[in-house]
Amino acid sequence: MNEHEIEEGLGGRRIDRQGFVAGAAATVAALGLGRFGSMDAFAASEAEGELFYYNWADYVNPKTYPAFTKATGIKVKKDFYVSNEAMLAKLKGGARGYDLIVPTGYMVQILASEKLLQPIQWSKLPTVKRNLNPKFRRLPFDRNDRFSVAKDWGTTGFMYRTDLVKERPTSWREFVNLTKTKYSGKVTVLDGIPEVIGSMLVMLGYSYNTDDRSQLDKAKKELIALKPHLRAITSTEYKQQMIAGKIVMALGWNGDGLAVAVKKPAAYVIPKEGGEFWVDSYAIPVGAKNPDAAHKWIDFVYGARNNAVETAYTYYGSPLKPALLRGVLAKSIINNPAVFPSARVVAKLQANQISARGTALRNRIWTEFKNA
Amino acid sequence: MGRRLLSLHAGLVYAFLYAPIAIVVAYAFNGGRQTLNWEGFSTKWFSAALHDDSITSALRNSLLIAAGNAVVACVLGTLLALSLPGMWRAIRVPIDALVTMTLVTPEIVFGIAALVFFTEAGVTLGLMTVLAAHVVFNASVVALVVRARFVGMGQDFEEASYDLGAGPLSTFRQVTLPRLAPAILAGGLLAFTFSFDDFYTSFFVSGAGTTTLPLYVFSSLRFGVSPVVNATAAMVLGLTIGAVVLAYVVLRRSGGRSGGVLPLR
Amino acid sequence: MEAASDLPEPTGRRRGRGGGPRYPPWLALPALAWYVAFFLAPLCFVAAYSFAELSGFVGIDFAWNLENYRYLWDPVYGEIFVRTLGLAGFGTAATLLVGFPFAYWLARYSRRRTLLLLLVIVPFWTSFLIRAYAWLIILDPSFPIFRALHVDLLYTTQAVYIGVVYNYLPLMVLPLYAALERIDWSLVEAAQDLGDGPLRAFRRVTLPLALPGVVAGSLLVFIPLTGEYLIPAILGGNKTAYTGTLIAQQFSEAHDWPLGSAIAMVVIASMTVVLVACSRIAARGEVGDG
Repeated sequence: MNEHEIEEGLGGRRIDRQGFVAGAAATVAALGLGRFGSMDAFAASEAEGELFYYNWADYVNPKTYPAFTKATGIKVKKDFYVSNEAMLAKLKGGARGYDLIVPTGYMVQILASEKLLQPIQWSKLPTVKRNLNPKFRRLPFDRNDRFSVAKDWGTTGFMYRTDLVKERPTSWREFVNLTKTKYSGKVTVLDGIPEVIGSMLVMLGYSYNTDDRSQLDKAKKELIALKPHLRAITSTEYKQQMIAGKIVMALGWNGDGLAVAVKKPAAYVIPKEGGEFWVDSYAIPVGAKNPDAAHKWIDFVYGARNNAVETAYTYYGSPLKPALLRGVLAKSIINNPAVFPSARVVAKLQANQISARGTALRNRIWTEFKNA
Repeated sequence: MGRRLLSLHAGLVYAFLYAPIAIVVAYAFNGGRQTLNWEGFSTKWFSAALHDDSITSALRNSLLIAAGNAVVACVLGTLLALSLPGMWRAIRVPIDALVTMTLVTPEIVFGIAALVFFTEAGVTLGLMTVLAAHVVFNASVVALVVRARFVGMGQDFEEASYDLGAGPLSTFRQVTLPRLAPAILAGGLLAFTFSFDDFYTSFFVSGAGTTTLPLYVFSSLRFGVSPVVNATAAMVLGLTIGAVVLAYVVLRRSGGRSGGVLPLR
Repeated sequence: MEAASDLPEPTGRRRGRGGGPRYPPWLALPALAWYVAFFLAPLCFVAAYSFAELSGFVGIDFAWNLENYRYLWDPVYGEIFVRTLGLAGFGTAATLLVGFPFAYWLARYSRRRTLLLLLVIVPFWTSFLIRAYAWLIILDPSFPIFRALHVDLLYTTQAVYIGVVYNYLPLMVLPLYAALERIDWSLVEAAQDLGDGPLRAFRRVTLPLALPGVVAGSLLVFIPLTGEYLIPAILGGNKTAYTGTLIAQQFSEAHDWPLGSAIAMVVIASMTVVLVACSRIAARGEVGDG
């Protein structure tokens, strides 16, 4: 038994007692807070003034949050997802407490059938009723407008840097060929199972929503051949990467294509073979702490001016009556066929209506795609 | 000789470990938006981070969970460590195996298992579920550290205490506990670290609204590099180094010359 | 992980019997209860799910069959698993290679060990994601060093390997240090005095004593690596499939919980095999040396 041990045994005592007292206090505080059922309870006391918005990343003009808070006194708390499937997984996995979500059309159907949505109360949405373009009512995925209110709409195609890609591709086939040859290693695709597989299906002349095994197999082969030439699989990083010139082409959404075009010479393409047409809608999940705030938000962004602010940031099509947008939204945006494609163009596109079986088959393909 | 080479190697390892961190800190002071173009010295991102609700609430969640989990893990782990040497082999070996399992099971497996469990049990995901999940791993860490110390420290003082007439409880309180304290503290620090840094488990069982700092960084990471996240990282680092230095100084002073915080003697 | 060799078990509860108090075994109950509730029970659920099937988009149908396992019996999944083992093996070997000399130096030659050790842990405290993200900056082609070398490592397998070594190094170093720190270096010097060259002394004296640390470190690195998916996702461009990626996909995108559970069970099974093999080796080692 040496000096050190004696010193330790006696001297150590003072510090660790303090330490334990501090630790005990911290636990009591932590557990006491936690006792009331997680941060939800903490938030509950502020629920009157808070909206928990679970949304796609980078899908709201940052200016809109403070504008909303100023107008209504409600603060906005945010959380983000990168795909419909990820959002579904989160909700199905027991996450409760989100007030507002933005599923794409087909996902509204799935969520509704899983009883994860609560009905929209249209009486709380006067501005929406006034301003909504009737074409966006009674959409196929929500015939009675029970669970959703359109947020915006867009397309899935590809974009490229016009100064770096002189070929001016206009079809999926060209996109794929260029990726495999000249621009190998400089192309990305979305981190989205239906979008990527669907694009290949469309390229081969099949339906975006097919269940047919042999058709899906062919699409899979195309993907596997494409894989070694891809730089990354991402739904969020490709904007920045394209602006920086690290990638020259990307499979992605029209709004993102325009966001790039604002900064650097770029073009967004709806390929000749076709592509996806989608409508994103506001929906209120079951378990929302403040559905009132959710309604207030929806009504707020349906004001013509606020909506124009949004559209000018995201570059996705607005569901408002076109007449309302004239005057508040820049002409260059209104007339931009990438933001507001003509009815003729839209008629060629398909909306996601993949069955459960089709989804399972696609998941399998995605695994093999990643494995390639 | 070989020793010089080893020192060089050690230096390189430290450089390797700290280079990325140094970069994150350096760029946190970059005035420009595009992280990779240096545009002058600025502290604006720090204030941006401090004013960002998502960041401060994520930080608060992380701290709460880590602290709570450290305390619970310390209690459970210490009790476990104390009881193990006194057990019959037949009981001790399976328990040891269990502890080992909790430590080495890949976190993703544990994360999804916890998710499945909480979903089936109908428990709402939140702070408490994250804490409960973290404690599983960290109690084992504490148990390991404390046990190593306990087994190696000998029972001389306890003997002396008994010889002087003290009962088992007061002996524990006045003699054993203080001697174990550095180990418990070290275990607690490790438990705090592992929880604060945790991603996989938190990702699956955090539910809505209990975003922890790693989860927040992960979702902003999706966009690539961002100056606000840089600043947050730099701040967390500063906090960490501050805490570690403080712990070191405090424990060193209390532990005498040896600076024996870690019970790896 | 076993602690040091068992001391002669202290017997008796009071004075005079050559040992202090023996702590009652029931003290372990709180921890055990916690483990059962939040570790074993969840794993049992996973096992149960692995025999179920996905129904519809998100439903679970307890068909109690081996469908999922049959599904996994496919070369694609075999490839993914082998690739994962390769990553785990590489990570273990690399961290051992880098970490052993480092731990050796720490244990034998350094002063202020505690401080130096804490310095190894501090990077751990900055959140693994921030560290991975720091590598995103470094590996970016416009970053000075790599730009000068005309090397673009971002989103490649090499980037993943670097990230793995970076993140798992502390996990290897700590157990190695713990074992090496115990060594009585005078033994090594004695061996050299008796005529062994430094390398021979290392092999005959140092290495066997360090072996428990090597085993512990290897376990702490290898097994968790079999479940790694973040580093490939962030640094690898999210385009390679490892077992962890697969599990994550089933639980956060595909919503096929039964399949994900089956994959998890495969991981658990392989982990158990490794653990049992290691403990057998360790036991044999103990007996052999006497």
